[in-house]
Amino acid sequence: MSTDVRSILVRSARAEARRDGSRTIEAEHVLLALAGLHDSAAAQLLAEVGLTEDAIRTALNREWEQSLAVAGIAVRMGLLPEATPEQGRDPHIGESTKLLLHRAMDAAPKLGGGRIGPMRMLVGLLATERGRVARALEAAGVDRAALRTRAAEALAAGAR
Amino acid sequence: MTELVDPEDPAAGLAAVVALRRLADRLEDSQVERAMRSGWSWAEVAEVLGVTRQAVHKKHARRLLAAGVALRRR
Repeated sequence: MSTDVRSILVRSARAEARRDGSRTIEAEHVLLALAGLHDSAAAQLLAEVGLTEDAIRTALNREWEQSLAVAGIAVRMGLLPEATPEQGRDPHIGESTKLLLHRAMDAAPKLGGGRIGPMRMLVGLLATERGRVARALEAAGVDRAALRTRAAEALAAGAR
Repeated sequence: MTELVDPEDPAAGLAAVVALRRLADRLEDSQVERAMRSGWSWAEVAEVLGVTRQAVHKKHARRLLAAGVALRRR
């Protein structure tokens, strides 16, 4: 299975968005997709700091709970009523995913003719302190900046 | 009453907006599904949500059909 940007987005991240009931593919869905590519250096780096798919889901739910608490709403995610996801739905690329792709393309070393791979996507994903992913990592006690440095070093050393 | 959000921390306040939208979307999906499973019509659901029947149909019909919900004609 090829693991370029297209297959990651079209296959895994879209499936994550669908499962989440989301009408768009956002950065958190890309993060889950990357963590699910178990053979990739990017997923291994995530796992090294404890970010398995399960841990990421837990962190995203915690971020949701914490942000709702700011608005005075106490919700336990496990107690929310479930909606049946739409299997045929095709979520389109959301704004946070567009930003991460731009950042991935801009990351050093300069992208040659090749396609964007998982590690480059991870570098783009970790580049921002804003948004749900950054807040979820903070909720999980993960040092995002340090993780980003490691990912950038791996990318510079040739990891795709 | 305490203040709803920390006036010094717009990041938390904006994240709360995103979280509330997610919550509203999740509740809408689950509660429309529940209503339709209970035999409500699209018109009734639309009236409660304050949107047109076409809008609620467009947003939810495909998902509910795929989920095996028996939908009423009107």
